[in-house]
Amino acid sequence: MKGTWPAVVFFALAALGPVVVRDAFLLDGLILILLWGATAAAWNVAGGYAGQISLGHAAFFGLGAYSAALLGTRWGLSPWIGLLVGAVLATVFGFVLGFLSNRLRGPYFVLATIAFSQVLLIVASRWRGFTAGSEGIPVPFRPGFWTLGITDKRVWVAIVLVLAIFLYLVELYLERSRRGYQLAAVREDEDAALSLGVPALRLKVAAIAASAALTAVSGALWAQYVGFVDPFYVFSVDLSVRFALAAILGGIGTPLGPFLGAALITTLETYLRARFGGIGTGLIGIYLIIYGTALIVMVRFAPQGLVPWIGQRLRRRPVAGSGS
Amino acid sequence: MHVVPQLIVSTILLGGIYALIAVGLTLIFGVMRVVNFAHGEFLMLGMYLAFWAFALLRLDPYLTLVLSLPLIYGFGWLSYRMVMRPVIHASHNVQIFTTVGLSILLQNVALVLWTADSQFVRTSYYAVVVRLGNAVLNLAQLVAFAVAVLCTAALFAFMRWSYTGKVMRATAQDRAVASLMGIDTGRVFALTWAVGVTCVGVAGVLLAPIYPVYPTVGLQFVLIAYVAVVLGGLGDMAGALLASLIVAAVEVIGSYVIGTAWKEVLYLLLFIGILVVRPAGLFGQRGAEAIGT
Repeated sequence: MKGTWPAVVFFALAALGPVVVRDAFLLDGLILILLWGATAAAWNVAGGYAGQISLGHAAFFGLGAYSAALLGTRWGLSPWIGLLVGAVLATVFGFVLGFLSNRLRGPYFVLATIAFSQVLLIVASRWRGFTAGSEGIPVPFRPGFWTLGITDKRVWVAIVLVLAIFLYLVELYLERSRRGYQLAAVREDEDAALSLGVPALRLKVAAIAASAALTAVSGALWAQYVGFVDPFYVFSVDLSVRFALAAILGGIGTPLGPFLGAALITTLETYLRARFGGIGTGLIGIYLIIYGTALIVMVRFAPQGLVPWIGQRLRRRPVAGSGS
Repeated sequence: MHVVPQLIVSTILLGGIYALIAVGLTLIFGVMRVVNFAHGEFLMLGMYLAFWAFALLRLDPYLTLVLSLPLIYGFGWLSYRMVMRPVIHASHNVQIFTTVGLSILLQNVALVLWTADSQFVRTSYYAVVVRLGNAVLNLAQLVAFAVAVLCTAALFAFMRWSYTGKVMRATAQDRAVASLMGIDTGRVFALTWAVGVTCVGVAGVLLAPIYPVYPTVGLQFVLIAYVAVVLGGLGDMAGALLASLIVAAVEVIGSYVIGTAWKEVLYLLLFIGILVVRPAGLFGQRGAEAIGT
């Protein structure tokens, strides 16, 4: 398909990673890039394509992580079932959020999503009898693919790569299908879209629900990979901002943007953690200072993100032999 | 019902502080049409300012308050010039992410400077209480309330009667017409931002003797301010005052009835309820939320 070669190159490089590299540290970085990229892409379905900027997506990520962890520790069920349950729960919550906040725009929608994720944070951290409260849940390691107890990082690369490519295809669908065009019409001018017979409410709610479900899938896989679920991390506003940040840096509403953004952020974070991690935890804040600054600078000078920005520069260059 | 006086007094004290935080937020929104997602971080900086002055210079927080006023105002003005001015006419999304970026930036500057540990401003009058009939009040809370009410009243008087206040209200009503009338809206925005930041920064200094300080402390307070500001109608200053009292009442009565652990859920559910049922707030104009202005 036209215009997808950068993505093909990106995913091919990612697939080549485990073949070429054996170093666990680098493979870990690759897994995180793909996983955060997929999560940012899931955010992008609502934030980019439907134009519903959410800073509460950590709620869905946390639902996925908690479903996988709790079903595993309480009833010994497979994390794959937990992943499915998390996705279904997130879909339900996404539908509710989408319907309830349908009228809200811009900052109002953002506030509603923050409040929503905070409610889930409080429930997860205070409902001690069920969720183990603020201590969090250590996810038990049970060897095998069905229980996702995998030590070989190459297998993990394969799992998150499948997820990442799936997310990319979802975004590509939203970019090129009739539904996608309708959604773009709703995003740009809802009243005009409605007057042309586009089912605006249904499309927006569906986009939010799908975005929620996909985010929960990432959350479930993340819980299994990292092995520990901390409510103050998985439901935090910081995490929600992180999803949005990757999509914005790379290019909001573009299929490859979230992955590029996640690659940048994760590389910087991993590098600075390795570089400063031993000296003092306070210095960890440095990479977040860089993120904050990058976000401010980015939305000011290139609000459409890196992918369209690079695209414009490539197109402006005169093509050799074009006769002009 | 011997607890009723205590509940009422606690509500009023808490509401006074919330009002000062909320009033700055709603002022910035009313005039600039920007929801300041970094509002809580200015509160946090105010608290750290008090902590620093106390730990390093042995300055009493209330002395710091007077001395630091120009400093907080200057910092607010600087943050407007460097961060907000370029995006003042940009889209909502750009403005949202600019203030979110500012919030991340300030939070982590604090993290690097002061670490993530909770810090305390332990004054000598830390545990002094005042008895008022059946109710018991903490002295620091009483002072914080008094100063907060004073500042809020001063801001209201300024907005109501001063020429600059009128100019700000005119800009809030219609910025295009205001600039046609010869109002330098750029200066109004800078002033509004700096005044809003000063309000919340002062609230931070006042809260320092009562609550521990850590880099993300702003979030818990600013969430309450968002609830109050939306309940009162975004941009409506009188509404924000009344709503602050309502939110404080929900918090105080909620902690008494169902315990402190779950009180946040109450006002967050109240918040979601308002956003769903009447996003324009108690007194706001219907439909504002749909235009997003």
